[in-house]
Amino acid sequence: METSILNRIDRTCAQYPDKVLFKDENSQITFAGFDAMTKAIGSFLAKLVPAGSPVAVMSGRHVLTPACFVGAVRAGCFYAPMDGDMPAARLNQILGVIKADYMLVDRAHLETARALDFDGELLVLEDIAETEADEELLRQRADTLCCTSPLYVIFTSGSTGVPKGVITSHLSLMCYIDAVGKVLSVDDSDVFGNQSPLDYIAAVRDIYLPLSFGASTYIIPKNEFAVPTTLFETLNREKITALCWSVAGVELPAKLGAFDVGKPEHLKKLCFSGSVMPCKYLKIWQEHLPDVLYVNQYGPTEATASCTYYVVSERVDDDTVLPIGKPYDNYRVMLLNDDNTATPEGETGEICVSGPVLALGYYGNPEQTAKSFMQNPLNQNYRELIYKTGDLGSFAPNGDLLFHGRKDRQIKHLGHRIELGEIEETAKKVAGVIDCCALYNKEKATLYLFYTGEATSKDIVLYFRKNMPAFMVPRKLVQLDALPALPNGKTDMQTLKNYFK
Amino acid sequence: MDELMQILEELRPDVDFADETALITDGVLDSFDIVALVGELNDAFDIEIKPNNLVPENFNSAKAMWALIEQLQDE
Repeated sequence: METSILNRIDRTCAQYPDKVLFKDENSQITFAGFDAMTKAIGSFLAKLVPAGSPVAVMSGRHVLTPACFVGAVRAGCFYAPMDGDMPAARLNQILGVIKADYMLVDRAHLETARALDFDGELLVLEDIAETEADEELLRQRADTLCCTSPLYVIFTSGSTGVPKGVITSHLSLMCYIDAVGKVLSVDDSDVFGNQSPLDYIAAVRDIYLPLSFGASTYIIPKNEFAVPTTLFETLNREKITALCWSVAGVELPAKLGAFDVGKPEHLKKLCFSGSVMPCKYLKIWQEHLPDVLYVNQYGPTEATASCTYYVVSERVDDDTVLPIGKPYDNYRVMLLNDDNTATPEGETGEICVSGPVLALGYYGNPEQTAKSFMQNPLNQNYRELIYKTGDLGSFAPNGDLLFHGRKDRQIKHLGHRIELGEIEETAKKVAGVIDCCALYNKEKATLYLFYTGEATSKDIVLYFRKNMPAFMVPRKLVQLDALPALPNGKTDMQTLKNYFK
Repeated sequence: MDELMQILEELRPDVDFADETALITDGVLDSFDIVALVGELNDAFDIEIKPNNLVPENFNSAKAMWALIEQLQDE
């Protein structure tokens, strides 16, 4: 059994030394190049940082970013990736949680990094990339890792207004990668087209599937998604065979009519996740690419990327609702009622996950961790943690899991998970906002903010743009004299939804 | 043109559309902005923006967008 992802990375790097591993619009790196680069970064770090420390990484959309991640791992550490395009206020929140002593940055993000509230030391990637590998030190550091050691901390929206850092172990990540690799039949002939930001959970597929199976990943430039014809040309030029995209990303080319002018000729598999797939867009993909394997995935970051999958075997219609399917290998899924009893067959309950894929918790937040990861109430005999997802589901007679929305006010927007409570907490910080309510219009994929107070909508949007990731900025703002209230004093959200029309 | 500026201002109040000339090339507008914008422009000006129109040259500035709208209205 592997003790860390380094076992498999060493194996593929030895087996495919001259093959291109990662490529972007300007450069590429082979497996051997990656091996050398991660050892250089790891050797430099290992002389500074004790094993088991967090290393923050802020690096752009290019081939060296995954090398920073794995470089930190070679030093026996774990990484916390940060998107340098996010506003400084957000990055500072993340740094406040992770409290790393060192941050790896590429030169392009050095200015951004210097402007942050960071007390630790900045290490510039380009300056340390030539470090001579200290094989003995690296071996010692690799030996400090076991499969339950943390691999990364990835941040997600938190309802109290502070992002939560989900800590994932080597074991969890390897379980997921092996399971999804099996369903997609990934092998060394595959070329992935990366869409997800590299700091985001969805990118683990594009980074670790190639490192596990000897495949390759092309990092698609971000602004090509705004130009659908170029996007397909790129997929064809790079002979991309596999896409693991957010639902929002899959919708884009279909929405913008890209199939009217071309199609991805080499594509064999497409898996999507992040939100419910509107089948009118999947239908367009199926019509033009009938032989592609389409896989619908479901799962929270806390259970390592995705926990169930459904292979779309039918031709979908506009109104088809896809099941979320069966658990991946090493994932267990069960349904619980609000009173923690088992949900009877066929009825709807909260989707709960267990198995070696559960995250190690929320970084530096034992209270929230204890609340979300709890003993399986149906098991009185031994320790078995479950993660309560907050999602509702039911089992169809054939055993497929069906998705029925959220229990709380968490939404999925443009592939990202957002707590509406966090939008409200942020809006309340804007001068001139007295009260507010954030709602999501699913049909139009639009985030609404209803508010009272003197602030103009421009004031609010500018504040959000300065402090929050772009996907968390409300798009429609409605100023009201008072928020409509229910008899119990709570905001009447149903009345507010009339504004959607 | 006023109506276009109003739509743009509402979409992204943080962007100075009067002066920007590399909205796409510099990544000021992202793909999701474009999807929202295309829908709104189609409705507001009764046009149909085709995938071939979705090139940076047509969306890099408000002026270029206006030229595209006029061209599509004439067709």
